[in-house]
This record gives sequence, structure tokens and C-alpha cells, in this order.
Amino acid sequence: MTTHAPLPAARVVDAVKVYGRGDTEVRALDGVSVDFPAGRFTAVMGPSGSGKSTLMHCAAGLDTLTSGAALVGDTDLSTLDDRRLTLLRRDRIGFVFQAFNLLPTLTVAENITLPLDLAGHAVDRRRFDRLVDTVGLRDRLHHRPSELSGGQQQRVAVARAFAGDPDVVFADEPTGNLDSRSGEEVLRLLGRTVRDTGRTVVMVTHDPVAAAHADEVIFLADGRLVDRMTGPTADRVLDRMKAFDTGTGPGAGHPAAPALSRGGAT
Amino acid sequence: MNAPATLRLARSSLRAHRRRFLGTFAAVLLGVAFLTGTLVMGDTLRASFDSMFTGATRGTDAVVRSATTVTAAGEAQGTRGPVDAALAERLARVPGVAAAAPRIEGAGQLLAADGTPVGGKGPPTLAGNWIEDDALNPYRLAEGREPTAPGEAVVNRGAAKAAGLTVGDTTVLRTPDPVKVTVVGLATFGGADGMGQVTWTGLTRADAERYLTARPGEATSIAVRAGPGVSQDELVAALTPALPDGVEAITGQRAAEENTEMVSGRFLDLFTTFLLVFSGVAVLVSVFTIHNTFAVLVAQRTRENALLRALGAARRQVVTGTLAEALAVGLLASLSGLLAGIGVAAGLQALFPAVGFPFPEGDLVVAGTSLALPLGVGLAVCAGSALLPAVRAGRTAPLAALRETDVDGSGTSRRRALTGSALLATAVGTVLAGVLGTPSLWLAATGAALAVAAFVVLGPVAASLAVRMLGRPLRGANRGLARRNALRSPGRTAATATALMVGVAVVTLFTVFGASLKATMDRTVDRSFAGDVAIGAPSFGAGGSGLSPRLAPAVAALPEVDTAVGLGRGVAEVDGRGRALTVTDPVALARTLDLGEVRGSLTGLGTDGLAVAADEAADNGLAPGRTAELTFTDGSRRTFTVRAVYERSDLAGDYLVTREAWAPHRTQDADRLVAVSFAEGVGAEDGKAAVTEVADRYGHPEVQTRDEYAAASAGGIDMMLTLVYALLALAVLIALLGIANTLTLSVHERTRELGLLRAVGQTRAQLRAMVRWESVLVAAFGTVGGLVLGGFLGWVLVRATDGSGDSALAFAVPAVRLAAVALVGLMAGAVAAWRPARRAARLEILRAIATE
Repeated sequence: MTTHAPLPAARVVDAVKVYGRGDTEVRALDGVSVDFPAGRFTAVMGPSGSGKSTLMHCAAGLDTLTSGAALVGDTDLSTLDDRRLTLLRRDRIGFVFQAFNLLPTLTVAENITLPLDLAGHAVDRRRFDRLVDTVGLRDRLHHRPSELSGGQQQRVAVARAFAGDPDVVFADEPTGNLDSRSGEEVLRLLGRTVRDTGRTVVMVTHDPVAAAHADEVIFLADGRLVDRMTGPTADRVLDRMKAFDTGTGPGAGHPAAPALSRGGAT
Repeated sequence: MNAPATLRLARSSLRAHRRRFLGTFAAVLLGVAFLTGTLVMGDTLRASFDSMFTGATRGTDAVVRSATTVTAAGEAQGTRGPVDAALAERLARVPGVAAAAPRIEGAGQLLAADGTPVGGKGPPTLAGNWIEDDALNPYRLAEGREPTAPGEAVVNRGAAKAAGLTVGDTTVLRTPDPVKVTVVGLATFGGADGMGQVTWTGLTRADAERYLTARPGEATSIAVRAGPGVSQDELVAALTPALPDGVEAITGQRAAEENTEMVSGRFLDLFTTFLLVFSGVAVLVSVFTIHNTFAVLVAQRTRENALLRALGAARRQVVTGTLAEALAVGLLASLSGLLAGIGVAAGLQALFPAVGFPFPEGDLVVAGTSLALPLGVGLAVCAGSALLPAVRAGRTAPLAALRETDVDGSGTSRRRALTGSALLATAVGTVLAGVLGTPSLWLAATGAALAVAAFVVLGPVAASLAVRMLGRPLRGANRGLARRNALRSPGRTAATATALMVGVAVVTLFTVFGASLKATMDRTVDRSFAGDVAIGAPSFGAGGSGLSPRLAPAVAALPEVDTAVGLGRGVAEVDGRGRALTVTDPVALARTLDLGEVRGSLTGLGTDGLAVAADEAADNGLAPGRTAELTFTDGSRRTFTVRAVYERSDLAGDYLVTREAWAPHRTQDADRLVAVSFAEGVGAEDGKAAVTEVADRYGHPEVQTRDEYAAASAGGIDMMLTLVYALLALAVLIALLGIANTLTLSVHERTRELGLLRAVGQTRAQLRAMVRWESVLVAAFGTVGGLVLGGFLGWVLVRATDGSGDSALAFAVPAVRLAAVALVGLMAGAVAAWRPARRAARLEILRAIATE
């Protein structure tokens, strides 16, 4: 049995996100409550349009909720203005996007230290060196992103995400643009970093193989949390996903879906 | 093949990217507006001068005047000899003549109630006799009465307003001898307050003869009115037999035409050309701006164009589409520019008086060419600037649709570097050939043009180096990012900066040239003025009255003063060449001015002796002992002997004659300068105070120390520079629009990057700072380039301007002013970034990240 860490690194409570109005209204998130425990690698899964990206964006302070709360540590994001929200992202959150993670004008080293540089913080050489060795990019530090392969670019992004020692790293389909071998490397890197250094990672993916690298998978459908799975394997995740395709009934029709959901907020 | 389809694409692209064309639109609009404004302004001025002069001679059917004029080299208007005033009475009896009146006219500057001179900043300040015949007198009494007794005067209403005078007031008229006058009437000219900005004071005929002519009984001309049924030509034919030798009659219409020609030929054409040059600069700057906009747009649209090509669009269709867009923008902007230009003309009418260039008022004259020409230029500039980008768009390979297009290696090619360097070397070589040895303006100008071309070609090569150097002091993540953004497309950075570079270069050129003229003036005064104070009556153009010839003797009589010598102005033809003479006491002059080495003797020039400046003597084969034939405006011819040749002519002039020699031929007497040196042991303060006290009795001229004298001599330069700066502000504004526009396009292009930066923690303020610093860097590159180019061109201009040895210009670099120019350039960069930076900061992060 899994146990929850005492204080989640990030969480959302009764998160509702509505796009548009009237006829065109779309409820991307429809009352989701979920904790992302510290020191864990959590994968967020769900079919297209399930709201998984929206959940990540709101939890990471890139977007705002229509109602409900998103917290990083014990900071309620809705209480922050744009500036403080930006500073929070800079100092306490790391990001890995699907593509276009790096500034083409900066070298690899500069891309990694970008959040620190923006903050005007000195770079801890020892930490930096360890990070570079972990992602295996020592010989590429002075290259430009355009000189790297896609997998290498994503590894730089991972290094950048962890460089500032953030509370939580959000990864949005980090392997979506990679071939399976490069994707595997990036995922292993994420998993290893969580387990070796106690970091927290939240990864949005639609790939069961990717989700299998996580400690726990949460499943979203139609803007609701429908299931959680600890110790996932690719096959189990795939099976669970297939259930959405064939039997969409429970997830879509019945908000409670008691059989499947343990509920995010206890 | 299908033209409508191409045009439809162009139209939809225009509609979709309206904002991106804003800069182009504004650049064309401003350029066209300036051009239109200049042309309309020129026509308007010409028309108002024309109607003014026609009005001045409306009732005059014929003008009888001396046939002799002497025009000194470099003068706009010759000096005409006087006629016998008594001739008027004889002419009045000629059949066909209704009336004839002597017209006596001379310089006469009014002093305002507070003692300051009125006018004198360009238009003439005149005094004359009040002509009783209503038809022959262009002035009408609006208030009060005509002058009847000595010391009574009528003043034109405009001048009276400027002077704060009303009927009954007493003031001083500098003729230049101060005459105390009582204003008895105010006059209008053709219904207006005056003849443009000309100030005019009407005296009794006796007063006019006494103060405005050299001898009583002389008149400037005789105005004649024809009897009923006699045409102007018939009148002239009737008058001619009655005229003595050396006197001619012309029709009133011809007299008006001569006046108009003189003003529009000499002054207006120069003025319009001057303005056209600045419109040219503005248009040139626009070309760079527009070219850049289209180059960026085409680059951004590579995929779109490639898709079109892949779908089967012919190369020509892509080119036509891009050109059609340019033409549409050009047409719209040009039409708006025409309207704005008419507004500019109206604005200029207000601007010029404000900077000390008074102009006659009048309705705007909008001629067909004033509209057609700017419209044509606007369209040509747009199409021409977009041509290269359009051709490049046409060359887009269909495969480019599939490629990533992020790396831009534009502008740093080896060939460009070589071509540019070769151009620059040729330019410098040509310039050096043009300015060293015998100055050749033509060679120097060719070299200067080549230098501009070299700078434009070398821009992209220099951009990376320059931005790296200029950006080196910038610390911190945002500034570092700004530097790299400015570096990422050297071609684009250079093209953006080039517009500003051209503007700054022209500003610098004029600043350097102006400073050099001033330095020359300083040097001249420093070297040639050996006195302690100078008395002068500063004026520009045809204004002012000079100094009373009685002032110098009065000052010389002071115990504090050792020598006071007046420099009067005379004119004569020396061996057939019109020359200005300096009428003075040469011996005293040599004590207050440093004439350099003198060969021969300045003493005892007498009534037939002449002293000549060395350069002038060498040019005309004159030497001590030789003779020269002088012809004066009264038609008399005398043989003078050269008694001395002196080295320095910058203050003394080329020819010195004594007052005794000049007296028989003199016109209205006036000194342009009185040079004073104090007696031994007299302090500067005491001496100046004593001189000022005397000067105040002779119409309040200015008593200046050497420094003040040098500064006053250079006063016109500052006025000119102010005007030039005002005109160049437009070119700089267009350049800024160009920077802003390119930034906006770049920001659009980098949407995803900006989104990423915001996501990983760049605050809005930091993002704004980043965009701003990029803009400042681009502006810094343009400004520094402009300063270097302009400084070089200024040096060329100074060196190539003719004159060698003593009369050569001194080259000066005004550090403070140029620092101010640099500062303005940098700040302008920051200002240009204002809108793009705000727009960039407003980006929504998620949309930015999601942007394809």
C-alpha cells in the first residue's frame, strides 16, 4: 500500500476550469482534487480532451482556475499577482515542455542556468556539474540547441528544470516528439532524479510506456479524476486506457464513479 | 497566371497583417507628407511674394532709375546708383504722365519702446519718403495722419505692433544715424499690416533726403503714373527721350517681376532646394525602413510562399503578390501623406517664424505637381523598396515549406565584407584625392557618396561585431538575451539600424560643419581682431541698418579709448569685377585689426589710393604701385593706385579705401563694425561701460567683447542648425518607426520563445527590459555608425569647401553636441521599443507556447 507524504509538493482542490461561454462553454476541469506528493514521480494520463494539460497548466501557475484552488507547497496561486506568480514559477517550479524548450540563442549551459540567471542567483558550480553529469551533456555545454538531437535537447530541458532546485517539476508530454529510445532515456532520467535526489515530478502523458516510469498514475477523463494507479506497468496502464475507449460510460456519465476513484482529496 | 488570384492573396494578407504594415505606412506617409509640404510651401511662398510685389507697384506704371548697378561678388542684390530727385518735376510735364514722384528708400531700423531693434532677421527694414500721390504710394494710412513736419513718421502697422508703438509715441529710427521720430500715423499695405514682414517707416521727403541719401536732391527712383488711356509701354516710350544719360525707365509690371525674380530666384529656390534635400533624406530613410519590413515579412512568410509554390504558383505570381501588397500600402499611405503634407505646409508656415524665419502670410497654393510628384515618389519608393524582397520571395523553393527556418546567416558573407571594404577603400581614396592638395568638391562629393554606400553594404558585417562590442558592458540575463537577439540576424539588425544611421549621419554632418564654421569664426576673431570691444548691429539677410558713421569718432574721443575705427561698406567695379570695398581709416584699422604682413604703406592712401588683400591681389595681378580702374554706382570711373597689400582679409575685407576716396560716390552711409581698442591701463569693464554709454546715444547698437563678438558672428549658424535639427527630426522619427516595426515583427516571430521565457520565470518587467535593450543596441549601432559616417562627411565637407591658407575652414568636433546626439539616438531606441515591448509583455504564456 502506498502512503501519502505528509505535505504534498503541489495540489489542486476542487479545480474547475471553464473555457468560453454559453453554447461554446467547455468545462476542461470539472472539480478535480488531487495531491502531488513530494518526492514522487506522478504521471497524469487521460485521452485527448480529458483536461490533463489544463490541470498541469493550472497547477503550475501557467493558467488560472475558474474556481477552486491550486497550491504549490502551501502557497495558494490564486492569491499571487502576475509578477509573484512568475517569481514562483522561476524559483519553485521547473518545466519540461513537449517541444521548443530551449532558447536558440543560448548555449546549452546558458539554457540550463536560465532561471537562475533570470533570478540573478549565482550558479552553484558543484550542483551544476552534478546535474550536467546526470544528464550526460558535459561535452555539449557550449553547443547551441540547433546542434543537438531532439533527445539531447529534452535532456537539456530536464537539466534546466532541476537546476533551480524547485519544489516540483512539471513535464508536459516530454517524450511526445522523441523516438522511443531517446524518450526512454529522458524518462529514465526523470525517474532517476526523483529517486536519487528526492525531487517531485508531475508528468502529463498519453503514452502508457512513459507513464509506467512513474511511481503513480492518475487518470483524468472529461475533466474529472477517474482513477489512480500505483506501481504502474505499461500493460496495466494500457488496459486502463482501453477501458476509456470501450467503456466510456463510468468516467463520462457519473461524476462520482465510486468504483474507480479513490478521490484526490481525502 | 491568374492575376486576380494573386491580388486576392495580397489583399487578404494585407488585411490579416494590418499591424505589421503600420511602420511602412507611417514611413511612406511621413516622407510623402514632407515632400508635399515642401512643394506646397514653396508655391505658397512664391505666390505670396508675387502678390506682395505686384501690390507694391500696383499704381506705378513706370519706374525711372539709374541704369548703373554694381553687384559685388557673392551678393544677392546689386547696388543701384541714385537719380536726381528734381527729375520728377520735369517728368511730370511729359505728355501722358499723370504724376511722378521721387521715391527715396534706404535702410531704417526702428527701435521698440524698450530700445531693442525691430526686425532685421531676414526681411528688409526700410524707411522712405511718404509719397502723397495715393496711386504711387503702396501704403495707406490706417490711423493718424501723414508726416508733414521734420521728425514725424508713419510706421506700418505690423512693425508698430512688434515695436509696441502707437500714434503719438516717440522712438528712434536707425538710418543708421539715430533719428528721433514721432509716430503720427500707422499704415497698411494692400490691406495687410505690412509688406510681409518688411518693416517700413515713412518720413517727410525732406527728412528722407536728409537721412536716407548721401546728398540732398537724390532719390532712389522715380515712380510715374500714366494719364488716362496710356499703357505702361507707351508711358515708358514717352519717358525715355526725356531721360538724361545713365537713367532708364521700365514698366511697373517689369519692376514687380524683377523683385519677384530676385526673391524667388535667389532665395526661394535655394530655400526650396534646401527643404527638398531634407525630404530626400526622409525618403531615403523610408526606403530602408520599408525594405526592411518587407524583407522580414518575406522571411517570415517563407513557408507560406513555399506552400504557394508547391501548390503550383508561378514565381512571378509570388513576386507580383508581394509587390501588389507594397503598392497598395504605398498608395494608401501616399494619399494620406498628401493630405498630411498640406497640413505640414500649414505647420511650416507657423514653424518658421517660431525659429526666426519670418515669412509672408497667404493662402496655401496647391499645384498639380505638388500632388503628382509626391504620389509618384511614394509609390516608387514602396515598390522599389519591396522589389528585392519580392524577388527573394519568388525564389522560395517549394521544399522550404518542409524545412525549419530558424537560422539566419544573412549579411555576414565574405563577398559582402570584401565588396564593402573595397568600396570603403575607394571612398576614402577618392575623398583624400578630393580634399588634399587642390580641393575638388566634385571628387569629395563622389567619395562621400561612395562612403555612404560602403557603410550600407558593410552594415550587416559590422553589425555583429558592433553589437558584440556595444553590448559588452551589458550584464545580467535579460541584457544578455537582448544582445543575442540583436545578434541573431545581423542583416536585419543592420537594415534596421541603417535608417537611423542615415538620419544621425546627416545630423552629425551639419553639427560638425556648423561647429567648424563657428570655430573658424572664433579663430578669425582671435587672430585678426586686435581690439578690445567691437560695436555691431547684428542682423541677417536684408535687415538691419548698420552703425552710424558718427559713432566711431564719438567713441574715439573718449579718454578711455585709444583707437576706434569704423568699417563702412562701399561697392565698386574693380577693373570690371564687382567688389565690396571697406571704407575706413586704414591706419587706425591696422591698430585694431591684425592685417598680418603689409607690403607697401597704409598711410596716405588719399583719394586715389587702395589697399588690397594678398589673395585677391594675387588673383587679379595687383601689386603695390599698380593701378586699378574703379567704377562706382554713380557711373563715375576713377583710377586708383594700389599702395599696400595686406595678408589677412577675414575681417577687413578685400579692398580698403579711405572715407575721402569714397565720399564722392557714397550711398547711404553706414558702418558695419566699429573696432575699438582701449587706452593703456583701462580695465575691460570700465572701457566697455564708457563705450556703451556713447553707443547708446547712437541707436543702441551692441557693444561686444571679443568673445561676444565671435559668438554674435556665429549666431546665424545656430539658427540654421536649429532649423536643420527640426527638419531632420522627421527622418529620425521615420527611422524610429522602422526600429519599432522590425521589433514588432521580431517579437511576433519569437512568440514561442517569449512564452518559454515567461514560463520559466521571466517577469513582464524583465521581458520589457529585454526588448528595450535589444532596441537600444540596434539604435546604438545605428547612432555610432551615423556619428562616424557623419563626422567623416563633415570633415570632407569642411576640407572640400574652397579656401586655403587663411580663409580655410577650421575643422572642429563639437564633443558635447555629438554626445547629445548619441544620447538622443539611444533614448530614441528605448522609446521605439515601448510599444513592441508592451505587446510582447502582454502575451499570454499558454498561447505563446502553443503557437506554431
